[in-house]
Amino acid sequence: MSIGYERRWETRRQAGRSAADEARDSYYGLPAIHKPHWKWSIVLYFFLGGISGASYVVATLARLFGGPEMRPVARAGRYLSLLTVLPGPLLLIYDLGRPERFHHMLRVLKLRSPMSLGVWGLIAFSLFSGLSALIQAAQDGLLGRRGPARLIRAMPDRLVGLLGSGPAFFLSGYTGVLLAATAVPLWTKNFLLLGPLFLSSALSNAVAALFLLLSATRQASSQALERLERLDRLALLAELALLLGLRANSGPVIGRPLDEGRLGQAFRSVLGAGVVAPLLLQALARGRHSGMAQALRLLAGLLVLAGGFLLRFVLVFAGHRSADDPQATFELTRKR
Amino acid sequence: MSARTLQGNGRAGTTGARPGALGFLTDTTLCIGCKACEVACKQWNQLPMDDFGFTGYSYDNTGDLGATTWRHVAFIERVSDREGRRPTRLKAFQSNWLMMSDVCKHCVYAGCLEACPTGAIIRTEFDTVVIQQDICNGCGYCVPACPFGVPALSLTDGKAHKCTLCYDRLKDGLEPACAKACPTDSIQFGPVEQLMERAKRRVADLHAQGVTEAYIYGDREVGGTGGIEGLNAFFILTAPPEVYNLPAQPELPQRKVLPAFLSTAAAALGLGLAALLSLRRR
Repeated sequence: MSIGYERRWETRRQAGRSAADEARDSYYGLPAIHKPHWKWSIVLYFFLGGISGASYVVATLARLFGGPEMRPVARAGRYLSLLTVLPGPLLLIYDLGRPERFHHMLRVLKLRSPMSLGVWGLIAFSLFSGLSALIQAAQDGLLGRRGPARLIRAMPDRLVGLLGSGPAFFLSGYTGVLLAATAVPLWTKNFLLLGPLFLSSALSNAVAALFLLLSATRQASSQALERLERLDRLALLAELALLLGLRANSGPVIGRPLDEGRLGQAFRSVLGAGVVAPLLLQALARGRHSGMAQALRLLAGLLVLAGGFLLRFVLVFAGHRSADDPQATFELTRKR
Repeated sequence: MSARTLQGNGRAGTTGARPGALGFLTDTTLCIGCKACEVACKQWNQLPMDDFGFTGYSYDNTGDLGATTWRHVAFIERVSDREGRRPTRLKAFQSNWLMMSDVCKHCVYAGCLEACPTGAIIRTEFDTVVIQQDICNGCGYCVPACPFGVPALSLTDGKAHKCTLCYDRLKDGLEPACAKACPTDSIQFGPVEQLMERAKRRVADLHAQGVTEAYIYGDREVGGTGGIEGLNAFFILTAPPEVYNLPAQPELPQRKVLPAFLSTAAAALGLGLAALLSLRRR
């Protein structure tokens, strides 16, 4: 075990400002609250968990209402959901200060702690995701034809999917509530927008991933792909509206990390390359079936996925920066 | 700022503290900045030293509260006002040099406690807020959930730490180490109800002596707002809270949980419907 300490304040002074300058409008510019330690593993978990929940929902709806031509979408959705939920617990445990104590999360269920709810939601959803993938594997004949495989195949996959859709939506959206229920100015200021934003981004990511998978394996009809593209468009439009709402609602002080520096560039990239560009590419390719149009669609899918990851990265790290800014905290807590 | 805690909206000078709750009254007008509280805390709780260096921030080389710093003395030198004018007259009590010993507020409703997913953070029989070190698994969610920036993860053992209000000393009928060591009784320990009465008398006295800026930080009007319902460790301050790096009107973060879940559920309904309409067979 290494002895260490963290200097949080040493490098915080802004260039060209003396300690006396900073002391005039805050306590030497030092953070008024502590930021969370969350790093890349949490960003990745937000990304994969979102895809997992949303692809489960897409698979369920495709199976329930899509007819035979949507069967490949349901199949791919179920497998993708399990594949993307599996790394979740590992990423979360890796992030703990004491990973060997991860099971202490299972001592209690606290309705006012999104972290506690999230742990139980993840467990519940993993069971559904695993079960649906198992049924799909049995239907695909991957488990053989006899004995337990026949039993599993006989299970009501549509009912399981319907029941699992609640936890699936929860997994994709609760991460926004997790951020909102903190003292971090950027997150708590946008407490009503973060959940819907995570949800719509998760949906667009899952649809893009399924589109790419099904296009690459040539499993789905062009009709099925068209329907996926239509859903992607709706999810992206919702995401666009929520992103603009988030920026406007944050205001000039709390929203500063979304404007300035590399994080500001990243936020604009999310908007431009991750949301607007895919919408334009899809519009260009609409109604056409040439190789060029297909390439545009694939590019749009890739951009959506990259934008989804970058969005979570920006939200987490811009939150860190707003927590470090005492003016942002005081903007939120000033006496009215 | 002047005299507002004695008039205000009726919430001034009130606290939601439960009967018999123990806490601190830190009267900053008595603080001489000796840091005996910081030292006594480290000694009793066997906390390692922090970074050994100079910050350039007056006499404050501690910076803020952290995993191994549970008392932190803030120093504010008011060499000039906002317009850059130097003061020509000194007022009573700390005048142009403010010192304040910051500590965990042991909130009546505590954000860290509500956020903790392991149940490691508990409310004790003394109504203080303590992190059980044998339970904490270092998830770190209490850290951003505190509106005052108190708990912190230790890089040494990976767990969250903060002031325990000397739980072990309370068990043996002793007062916390910082209060014991304070040479001017700037840090006072006792039942919160009694301390609040004492604080109100003290603020009235200070006003009578010409320090009309004095007020209580940690009642239900300032510091203990937004569902926090008061701080069991509260303060007498003579400048706006922001000067001491404290939020004036913090809010309990968990107030956002239900509305945030409701908006997420509404979005789930909308997006689910959009998915159904897009994917269905025509």
